[in-house]
Amino acid sequence: MAAPVKLTIDGKAVEAAPGTLVIDAAKLVGINIPSFCYYEGLTLQAACRMCLVEVEKAPKLLAACTLPVAEGMVVRTETPVVAEARKYTLEFLLTNHPLDCPVCDKGGECELQDMVFRYGAGESRYSENKLHVDEKQWSPVVFYDGPRCILCFRCVRICSEGMGVGALGIVNRGAVSEIAPNHGDHLECDECGMCIDICPVGALTSGTYRYKTRPWEMDHVGTICTHCSNGCKTTLGVRNGQIIRGNNRDRSGINGEFLCIKGRYGFDFTDHPERLQSPLMRVNGKLEAASWSVALAAVAKKFSEVRARHGSFGVIGSTHTTNEENYYLQKFARSVLGTNHIDHHRSGDVVTLLDALSGTAGSLSTTADLYERKAVLVVGADLSSQQPFLAFQIRANYRHHQARVYVVTENEVREDGIAAATVRVDKGGELAGVHSLAEKLKTESELVIVFGDSIKGEAVRELVAFGNSLGIPVKYVALVDYSNSRGALDMGLVPELLPGYQPSNQPGMTVGEMLESESLEVLWVVGANPLESAAMKAKDAFVVVQEMFLTETAQRADIVLPAASAYEKTGTVTNVTGEVQRLKTGPSTMGAKPDLEIIGLIARDMGLAAAVGPWIADKVFEEIRATVKGYSVPMAIISAGGAAHTMPVNGRIPVESRPDLIHSSRDNLFTSGTLGRYSKMLGSVMEGRQA
Amino acid sequence: MPNKIEEILETAAAIAKGMSVTFKEMMSPTVTENYPDEPPKFEERFRGVHVLQRDESGLEKCVACFLCAAACPAQCIYIEAAENTGAVRISGGERYAQAYNIDYSRCIFCGYCVEACPTDAITHGHGFEIASFNTSTLVYRKERLLAPAPPGARPPEIFTEAPSAH
Amino acid sequence: MLYNEPSPHEVKVLTRRFGLADSASIKTYLKTDGYVAFEKALKMKPEEIIEEVKVSNLRGRGGAGFPTGLKWSFVPKTSPKPKYIVVNADESEPGTCKDRLLIENDPHQLIEGMLIAALSVDAHAGYIYIRGEYRYLIDIMDKAIAEAYEHGYLGRNLLGSAFHFDAFTHTGAGAYECGEESALLESLEGKRGVPRIRPPFPAVVGAFQSPTILNNVETFCAAPAILRDGGAAFAALGVPKAGGTKLTCLSGHLNKPGVYELPLGFPVKKMIEEVGGGIRNGKKLKAFVPGGSSCPVLTAAECEGLTMDYDALAKVKSMLGSGGVVVMDEDTCIVKVALRVMRFYAHESCGWCIPCREGTAWLRKLLQRFHDGHGQRSDIVLIGDLAKNMLGRTFCPLGDAAAMPTISFVEKFRDEFEAHLDGRPCPYEPANRLAAHLVAQ
Repeated sequence: MAAPVKLTIDGKAVEAAPGTLVIDAAKLVGINIPSFCYYEGLTLQAACRMCLVEVEKAPKLLAACTLPVAEGMVVRTETPVVAEARKYTLEFLLTNHPLDCPVCDKGGECELQDMVFRYGAGESRYSENKLHVDEKQWSPVVFYDGPRCILCFRCVRICSEGMGVGALGIVNRGAVSEIAPNHGDHLECDECGMCIDICPVGALTSGTYRYKTRPWEMDHVGTICTHCSNGCKTTLGVRNGQIIRGNNRDRSGINGEFLCIKGRYGFDFTDHPERLQSPLMRVNGKLEAASWSVALAAVAKKFSEVRARHGSFGVIGSTHTTNEENYYLQKFARSVLGTNHIDHHRSGDVVTLLDALSGTAGSLSTTADLYERKAVLVVGADLSSQQPFLAFQIRANYRHHQARVYVVTENEVREDGIAAATVRVDKGGELAGVHSLAEKLKTESELVIVFGDSIKGEAVRELVAFGNSLGIPVKYVALVDYSNSRGALDMGLVPELLPGYQPSNQPGMTVGEMLESESLEVLWVVGANPLESAAMKAKDAFVVVQEMFLTETAQRADIVLPAASAYEKTGTVTNVTGEVQRLKTGPSTMGAKPDLEIIGLIARDMGLAAAVGPWIADKVFEEIRATVKGYSVPMAIISAGGAAHTMPVNGRIPVESRPDLIHSSRDNLFTSGTLGRYSKMLGSVMEGRQA
Repeated sequence: MPNKIEEILETAAAIAKGMSVTFKEMMSPTVTENYPDEPPKFEERFRGVHVLQRDESGLEKCVACFLCAAACPAQCIYIEAAENTGAVRISGGERYAQAYNIDYSRCIFCGYCVEACPTDAITHGHGFEIASFNTSTLVYRKERLLAPAPPGARPPEIFTEAPSAH
Repeated sequence: MLYNEPSPHEVKVLTRRFGLADSASIKTYLKTDGYVAFEKALKMKPEEIIEEVKVSNLRGRGGAGFPTGLKWSFVPKTSPKPKYIVVNADESEPGTCKDRLLIENDPHQLIEGMLIAALSVDAHAGYIYIRGEYRYLIDIMDKAIAEAYEHGYLGRNLLGSAFHFDAFTHTGAGAYECGEESALLESLEGKRGVPRIRPPFPAVVGAFQSPTILNNVETFCAAPAILRDGGAAFAALGVPKAGGTKLTCLSGHLNKPGVYELPLGFPVKKMIEEVGGGIRNGKKLKAFVPGGSSCPVLTAAECEGLTMDYDALAKVKSMLGSGGVVVMDEDTCIVKVALRVMRFYAHESCGWCIPCREGTAWLRKLLQRFHDGHGQRSDIVLIGDLAKNMLGRTFCPLGDAAAMPTISFVEKFRDEFEAHLDGRPCPYEPANRLAAHLVAQ
């Protein structure tokens, strides 16, 4: 590390690493130099000329965004000359910018608006005609209003650099320059909407949010996206109990500003017309609406009856419910119903990985590691399509730290473009492909290995052995599918393991075995849809389903209890890399209750509430922190909306690995299991329809 | 006795002065209004029940920018916005107020909403007889607040391409 | 092909082969000392070549006038990356038309110049970036390159040495902006022609992220003469701080417009009167642009005693630029000139940075309205103000190039702007003049 450079900015002494830009150095002492085109993490543009500053001994104003710090430099950021330059730059900008702030979606959170207020450039001397071009719709989610565009090229850069898509470019030149989509009149891309968020003005607007409300009219609820396992924070804009938009402009959470289409637009299932808002009970073979008290009483009665005669219960948990709900559910099943027939859909072999890594410390990667480590090996996964945030981290790592990326996959993936080496393998040949990279990987100083569901069982052990043989620090990520797939495993939603990967002494049935069993008397499904692709053998079993929609499983149910979505409750979820984050309640759907409450109310109606404890998320999480191995995470981080990394084990897990049960649904950017079927937005984009 | 005479004179003078005012006022026009027998007269800028204005072609001036609601100290304005389309055009801008409610049980007639309005859509009318025994009737909906369309107003024909079907 | 008769005042160094039969062919070139300088340079050390160029006082002929020897010396001696030679033949400055003649009449001189530059920095490939509108020059250049390959002046082991060099032509798509060196490099690499952030300068990070010598056609064409006759002889042709001759493109209201090779420091008055044959129809000089449309305009008074060299023109706050001299007579409407110039810049602004993109478009509309007779007194101040707000605040020199002449027009010819006020039509338009004449009668 070279010695820091000393300089003065607005009279404040600053020390910054050599090569730091003045605009960044100013931030170190709390001075905000305005800019439109400069954007942290993206390439430099120096096009907007808002960051011009006065530097002593320089003949003219210099752009702070491209000016590296120099020893003894004296910078002034708010002199009358600078303020005047900015004011007139704004005057130039406003010549063709329509003054339609009252109708513009960006009004109230517009960087141009703020800047005009700051420099008093509201009055213009411009009296010629303004340029006008009509607004264009590029996709169901992206609209472009050319006249509002200030051509800062942030969207172009985030699309090509951040997303690796490069769907946006510039056409024409001079004042009639425009941003243009990659397919003439429409976009074919990830439809992530990063371009919309990053737009400092209202040139790019979102199909869901357009003209619906104004930013100050909404409650902004920072919660965790409920789709894939990456655990991105999404800030929901909620008005009148309805989610109107999702974004993460405050760059909080592990994902910073990154969100894919699911996090940004995939919230609309919450007010889907088919959303269940009242419990349903089977009367004369047909499901009919019932009140909560009646439905709960019926469930409690049946459960009590079967429990009394030690009948057979099967419990299937969810990959979307919170840790608290999962923990509470397995506790209820194991201690109240007395059954170990509890399982969920497994999508990655975390168990074998944790077992293989026993005895080592710090071998589990976080999402931050993917951005910081010097090399990344991707095995058998199309990250950009299935794990978009992890892919984003790797791309950012490549751009900012020149990380070397190695890819071993069956098909072409977007990571090929930044890869130091790519190995194409046949199905099942992933491990051989990894071995072929051994010599190259040995030259690296550190490595993160990300592997999909093609590496499971013994293959995981072999992969870890390979990692150990490299002689460098290696961290691992076992990919799983959904928002709390990892949490479901951690909380013991499997027959062979209790919470914290403690072996269960009397393993029960797996999902497949439950459906195959003819003697099953009660099947209780919480937020899962096992009957989508399988039939149930036990014709007479009493089926209780907690669901948001009338899924295939719910249609078979005797009692359906409407559940709240992840956006409508509190609790914690654990992402693919084992980082725990807290959900916040955004809207509420009338009639639906959080699963935790439903389970608690069933326990209450059975008269067994004391056995499972209160159904309050915080209380349950207290219990999890106290009892589940690896979950003694600092509450301060969780409460503040941060992500706490869990270290679930450091000892052997003496259970038989079940690679046969592990299969990823391979959801892409535009599908999200059952949930995705009820998101109009995901279904509306053409890429989603093709997929 | 001079005191007595002075007193009489002073009294007479006082009566004369008083009566002069009386007679003068008897001659001048009356100020008191005969409300409710006659309609009251308003100053131009009297702040009464709001009127949502229309433009010359009958389109609503309100573009649902929510600035009135933001300015309202009593928080009595509730708006739901929606987008104008080629087929349904309600206002002159891209957006219009699908719902526009003013809760007159909260409104303090301060006029901040009128000040805030960038399109001169919301104005104070002269309506004031809104007392009610039931507060629920005091929430006025858009239909009740809107000015009538000017006679013969025809909304302009809008030629917009239908959004492409992606 | 030549477009004008040579003038006796010319000092023919770069244009010495102009007018010879088949001057573009390698045969003619070899007959007239062709590739002699290259042979000489092959035997010299790179530092010696650069030293010779430094001695010659050669300054960049593209407009900025940066000392060429110094520029070449900035290329790092050792670099893990290959080095490149790039010729800027994107001659787009209004008023300038010299590079086309150099390529048309003597393409081998350019190739030889590239070879010398390549030897000085150990480069092995060169690109000639030719303006999109000069499409026909590509054929001439390609033919010359093919001839040079044939005769062993391009390719491998040139003249029996270990040195090898390849040259390629590349065509622009018709953008003034691509005459700016970093935008040219972007365009050469196949990207949108927008300028790059500097530093690093092309000498360090240029074409394909590698060290690059990038000069104007005329600059490269001077190299063979410098090596052949010695830097000192070349320097002696010009003035103390700038050596050699300059191709001067005389245009405007002259009797004999054309491209003339004049030594640096040639008096302006003499140039107009004797080289250019005086002003057409015996009219008086009103305004004078010394180096292309980007230079501040000079009045007739300022031309008195003025000489055509970098420093003398800098003293009167103008520039030698690219040598595009435009002479305007007394019938010229300066507002119209300002409008015409601004129309060009508004059309050519690449749209990258705000002051240039919006400023040129605004000024174009404003000047158009003004010229049409709808101007107000405050607009005169506004025109100057807007130009000043652009000056020095844009990303690349295009904004300055648009601002500088505009400021000079308003400052030096304010009376002409005032003559357009109050709804009066342009007093210089022939139709308006006729009408005024009839009214007076």
